[in-house]
Amino acid sequence: MQGLRCIGVTVLGCAVLVLAAGRDAGAQILPEQPISVAGGHVVFGAEVSATFAPDDPGFFNYTSYEFSALRNFRLSASTEIRATDHVQVLGEVRFDQGRVLEAYGLYVRVRPWPARRFDIQAGRVPPTFGAMTRTAYGSSNLMIGQPLAYQYLTSIRPDALPGTPDDLLRMRARGWLSRFSVGNSADAPGLPIVSTTKWDTGVQLHGVTGMLEWTGSVTAGSLSDPRFRDNNTGRQFAGRAVLRPNAAMLFGVSASRGAWLNDTLERDVAGDDADPVEQIAFGGDAEYSRGPFLVRGEAIRSTWRMPQFGALQLQEPLAVISSLIEGRYKIVPGLYLAMRGERLDFSKVRGTAGLVEWEAQTYRFETAAGWSVTRNIMVKGAWQRNGRDGGRVRKDALVAAQVLYWF
Amino acid sequence: MIAMHGPAAIAQSTSGIRGRLDIRKLDKPVERRPDVAAPGAAGPRDVPDLRRGVVYLESAPRAAFDERDPGHAVMDQRNERFVPHVLAVMVGTIVDFPNSDLIYHNVFSLSRAKRFDLGRYAAGKSKGVRMDRPGVVRVFCDIHSHMNAFILVFNHPFFDVTDVEGRFELPSLPSGTYTVVGWYEGEARVSRSIFVPPNGWAEVDLVVP
Repeated sequence: MQGLRCIGVTVLGCAVLVLAAGRDAGAQILPEQPISVAGGHVVFGAEVSATFAPDDPGFFNYTSYEFSALRNFRLSASTEIRATDHVQVLGEVRFDQGRVLEAYGLYVRVRPWPARRFDIQAGRVPPTFGAMTRTAYGSSNLMIGQPLAYQYLTSIRPDALPGTPDDLLRMRARGWLSRFSVGNSADAPGLPIVSTTKWDTGVQLHGVTGMLEWTGSVTAGSLSDPRFRDNNTGRQFAGRAVLRPNAAMLFGVSASRGAWLNDTLERDVAGDDADPVEQIAFGGDAEYSRGPFLVRGEAIRSTWRMPQFGALQLQEPLAVISSLIEGRYKIVPGLYLAMRGERLDFSKVRGTAGLVEWEAQTYRFETAAGWSVTRNIMVKGAWQRNGRDGGRVRKDALVAAQVLYWF
Repeated sequence: MIAMHGPAAIAQSTSGIRGRLDIRKLDKPVERRPDVAAPGAAGPRDVPDLRRGVVYLESAPRAAFDERDPGHAVMDQRNERFVPHVLAVMVGTIVDFPNSDLIYHNVFSLSRAKRFDLGRYAAGKSKGVRMDRPGVVRVFCDIHSHMNAFILVFNHPFFDVTDVEGRFELPSLPSGTYTVVGWYEGEARVSRSIFVPPNGWAEVDLVVP
């Protein structure tokens, strides 16, 4: 049933695109460039992707929206309203798996001085942290799979807590749904390190001065759990700086700090006076490109402090280090080959069986090839190998294909 | 270096076809894609000059196919724009693509007439591509999706990129009847059959509605 809904939405999306192209009879059926109306004050763009892969029994590719990133039909439509030189309104709506999601992004952008690259954005704003947030867009992702740090689900949840360290360890290596005894006891997806399936709500500042680009934001949720309505009194403070010493190189650093646990739950277990428990993350990234080559890497360290109550007395926050490197080589015009290697290393907690990582160490290797049929239609194929040192499924290998169209 | 006017190689002409390509409705420049995922707006850029078209002969007199040295032509990348937006050259011409911006560009084309991908290269660098087949080559930048341009490659010299007012000249044509084609932004939009007298110019205005 859900598959039929997905196909229906995809067909509907394509029909909308065809109708949009109808104004330009004689040209190609689908638009190949953004559609602009009202003298360029309103611009529409879209990306459609269909991704196919066999079942992922280890849930290595599942997202917090309860579907695999490798089995998805997606239509994302974006609009930019250029009201004046100072003010723009930007929005994006996504249809994933046949479900209409809330507005993925919707914010107003104000540029106080049109000649200066300084912007204030307010609303549901794009992520500040990290170099790989754009991999949520198929056209900006060399692979088909998303980076583990931006997609792989750990066991912890904002609405439920383990009662003991052993409760926590029992949920390791699930990759998708977890269940704890305190709070919401139903099965639900855990949190990734950085969520790209939702955007956070708040204010973002961005500036470019010479070779330095910086972004700062104050938002409602946390890095792993962006929110439209806050679930606690804490705010997320995030920042990113990018240095481009020359056109070939880029060095970036990111940081984020924000309360991640539902207030009601925290009050229940730790009392009214408890300070919000926070997720704190730091990241560093670099990119180098020249000719047909592109290489980039990113490392992130994230910690989630847990409230102390009952038998759950974790002195140190739960930590994870993510490391990733990927490269691309263009073989011939329109055809590239790319590879990505990455892993997640988790800290240890003491259970009755001794010191054990609170989540299974996880790695992924993916190699992909992309063929541009036209400038804005691409076909990708990928082979992905996943592994972790725990869980029911410890290793799997998947072959995936993706068709992408955008304008 | 050849000029954009193909017939310039045939100098001192007293006969041919000249006139105006009247483009009634100019195409709109390609907008940047709405970049909702960007933390801020992109920097300023130049918009391409869309006032020019190309006028050429559908088929050329035999002498046009004599061996010539096609030389080089230049399509610059400047402030996120290809300059010129339309280039017309003869087969064999090497088109150089200097990068005059301080940012990377990646020129490529997936056109049947010429597939190429010059990779990323920095400011002050230039790479060239030999146009070895006639046809239309659409040129893009892999990094900046709004950057696009056209290169029309001919196997004869009877073509001209119009000036901003649409004027063109196809000189040094032997007397005869020719089909003149007006091309604009990716398509041949208008054609007209015209007789060129033995000594003199045939005047024609082509209208692109």
